Amino acid sequence: MRFRRTVLFAAVGALALGLAACGSSESGSSSSSSSNGASVVTPAGYQSSVNESLSGKRGGTLEVLQEADFEHLDPGISYFALDYEVVFATQRPLYSNKPNSNETVADMASGTPEVSADNETVTVHLKEGVDFSPPVNREVTSQDVAYAIERGANPNVANPYIQTYFSAIEGMPQAKGGTIKGIETPNKHEIVLHLTEPKGFFVAEALCLPLTAAVPKEYAEKFDKNKPSNYAAYEVATGPYMLKNNAAGKVLGIGYVPGKSATLVRNPNWSPKTDFRPAYLNEIDIKIGGTQAVIDRQVLEGTNVVQNEPVAQSAVRLAAESYKSQLDLSPGGGNRYITLNSKVGPFTNIDLRKAVWAALDREALDRTRGGDLVSNVATHFIYPTIPGFEQAGGLAGPKGADYNEHPEGDMAVAEKYIKLAGYPSGKYTGTKTVQVVGASSSPEKEDAEIVNQTLKDLGFNTKLTLVEISTMYAKYCNAPKEEIEVCPTVGWIADFADPQTVLKPTFDGEDIVSTGNVNQGQFNDPKVNAAMKAAETTQGKEARAAAWGKIDDELVENAAAIPYDWEKSPRLEGKDVHGVAMLWNEGAWDYSFTSLK
Amino acid sequence: MIRYIIRRLLWGALLLIIVVALMFVFFRILPTGNPALLRAGRDPQPGLVKEIEVLLGLNKSLPVQFWDYMKEIFFHFRFGYSYYSQEEVRTLIVERLPATLSLTLGAAVLWLVGGLSVGIISALRRHTLLDRFAMGSALVAISMPEFWFGLVVLFLFADDIGKFKILPGAGTYVGKWFTSLIMPWIVLAAGSAAIFARLMRSSLGEAMSEDYIRTARAKGLPERQVVRHGVRSAINPLVTLFGLEVGVLLGGAILVEAVFNIPGIGRLSYQSIQSSDFPVIQGTVILASLFIILANIAVDIAYAYLDPRVRFS
Repeated sequence: MRFRRTVLFAAVGALALGLAACGSSESGSSSSSSSNGASVVTPAGYQSSVNESLSGKRGGTLEVLQEADFEHLDPGISYFALDYEVVFATQRPLYSNKPNSNETVADMASGTPEVSADNETVTVHLKEGVDFSPPVNREVTSQDVAYAIERGANPNVANPYIQTYFSAIEGMPQAKGGTIKGIETPNKHEIVLHLTEPKGFFVAEALCLPLTAAVPKEYAEKFDKNKPSNYAAYEVATGPYMLKNNAAGKVLGIGYVPGKSATLVRNPNWSPKTDFRPAYLNEIDIKIGGTQAVIDRQVLEGTNVVQNEPVAQSAVRLAAESYKSQLDLSPGGGNRYITLNSKVGPFTNIDLRKAVWAALDREALDRTRGGDLVSNVATHFIYPTIPGFEQAGGLAGPKGADYNEHPEGDMAVAEKYIKLAGYPSGKYTGTKTVQVVGASSSPEKEDAEIVNQTLKDLGFNTKLTLVEISTMYAKYCNAPKEEIEVCPTVGWIADFADPQTVLKPTFDGEDIVSTGNVNQGQFNDPKVNAAMKAAETTQGKEARAAAWGKIDDELVENAAAIPYDWEKSPRLEGKDVHGVAMLWNEGAWDYSFTSLK
Repeated sequence: MIRYIIRRLLWGALLLIIVVALMFVFFRILPTGNPALLRAGRDPQPGLVKEIEVLLGLNKSLPVQFWDYMKEIFFHFRFGYSYYSQEEVRTLIVERLPATLSLTLGAAVLWLVGGLSVGIISALRRHTLLDRFAMGSALVAISMPEFWFGLVVLFLFADDIGKFKILPGAGTYVGKWFTSLIMPWIVLAAGSAAIFARLMRSSLGEAMSEDYIRTARAKGLPERQVVRHGVRSAINPLVTLFGLEVGVLLGGAILVEAVFNIPGIGRLSYQSIQSSDFPVIQGTVILASLFIILANIAVDIAYAYLDPRVRFS
């Protein structure tokens, strides 16, 4: 549930993305980018992470321009697409993705994870001959991976997803940074995870998260004792690049100057024989700051340079018209949907939720974001690139839901459902004023206005409140006690390519919490909850895709929320850059595969 | 005079304490302001949020947090560490200060020289074509938003994206200190110079019609000397404005720093507000307040020096 940058700046709770199926236990798994809809939503004639060539020329320095600063470059904390660009160029988790795929490959691991028949033990063997960068300069062992995971539970590190994905490891729920009973290292190159629940397949998939990137205990422990840990200021690398440092290993102020720059140089201890990354570039110079409008032009007219998100809509249009070869469009930018409160207020009535869905002009919402080039009208919740997308109906969506059949809106169908809800005139005549809370920035503001107008057209009295996006989440939409009826601009992005990471946090009624609640509509259906519980322990990619695809169908059937947009991520690159974007990471740049022409 | 200065400094110190206290309250009660929630990821587990609150010291009672905060600032001149980079806020500010000083002081020289010259010429050539042109231009300069003006000059003159590739563009501050600042100086100075020009014109216009000017002319003083007397009198109201503007800009010229990608205090402040990085927000706002208070004191002292009546009022 990584944050996309715009969200990151704005708030807890908006979209966050990533879809790496980290540790598939099925060697040679059949799932490809095309079978999950990635290819079908990629606009023809444009570069994309789906069809990018991975070959390149060695050498040169790439300049990266980005408006936002990094959040956390410590692999144990990092949880943000922009941070991942650096983290995945400098660190090697157990499993990683090639940029044009959401299938994982062994990275620090030497092969696929072995999941026991009872689904309660995961064994991973490590490669030999992978060394830490200076000043540590020694081989990585399984103890380093164990420490990396254990430190994530240290309150001084406080990894944001460790309990979400690794709580099944024996001893993890109580862990505070010390040894965890369920993590065993029988020898230098083997790590075994013992689980208390049959969730081995899912845990194995999560091994692609950067939490599993090795950290040398004897070096990092002193930094991890600080409150909070400042290991990032001295972090060492295992990947092809490292943040520039001094002899003592200090990175802060040298290889990373907050708010100003980051410099990645080659890791002298990296061996290409142990890695699938080609690492064409000699150096990556990241300049932080500036404004989108200027950066976009500097990249379109510049050389040796790429831009990091976000790209202004005007620049996307300009690039599409005049610099087509410099525009990279990656599918898999997450979903967006409208939540209708199913716990209190009029939308406890499922037919009213369906009526709003039917009436809504989802094509208009799509246009506010730039139209087909950068998004698709959503017909369900699992978005392209995530397994389960096709099983949930693909682009067209599940069959049989007439309220989902007309993306331009259909008032006749809407009236039918309003009548079914007990309002014979075909208009809602209740007295309750519906509170709609949206974000004041564009295009969220326009989205909220479209939704608000639709509600009015159906007869609802509404009160539209537009606030700064972080306030929208923190004070209203993510706070159940506020009882907001409609949140028109929320969304989600997976952490890795498993549909559970899309649907469970957002629609599992058992996960509703009093603050920071991301099931904004408070959808709580015992049947769906039970289906999710069963799907959590399902093994095998295809079986999981089918199980979660079916849950997606049920969410549509229950009008749990109204999906309206599947996003694509545009990126710009200089004339002489062969930029390679990461399909699994919101189309962010993969520095280990990008090269200069 | 010394008693007067001490009195002003004490008032300044008190004002700073009030600002620091208010800022603490504002940022702690804002609805968006729980950094632990931000740090806990998108699906924040309640246990994790609590752990992070402990980690950041946000679990302590507000009075305790307030006391720790005031103690660190006033006894140790420490603002804490960034929640994100873990860099000391003092270091971040010290690193950014040269850029902001360069930008502000350079622009101040430009607007002072430009604004006063145009104002004096306009005052002395009232209702001529030159005067009308200068005042019309001033009106345009006042009306132009800095952000927009910055983009226009970049798209015209930057050596990377400009039509006429003359000057280094955005993001070149490191390495091309002087030339990279020429456009930002002009953009930052334009509005203030225009205001100064208009004020100087009217102020000098009034001064030149005073009795003592007529007397000076009657005594046969050369016109240059007469004008000098007039300017000395007319410049007094501009001293206040100058001090305040410099004070405000030293706290960060956010828009210009953003457009030209100058790593100054303004951008640091903007970035920290976006990410609820309280320690950095506090550090930059305190610095901005300090500059404004100091500028006010400097203006008061300058006034007291120029007009002794002020000291006793």
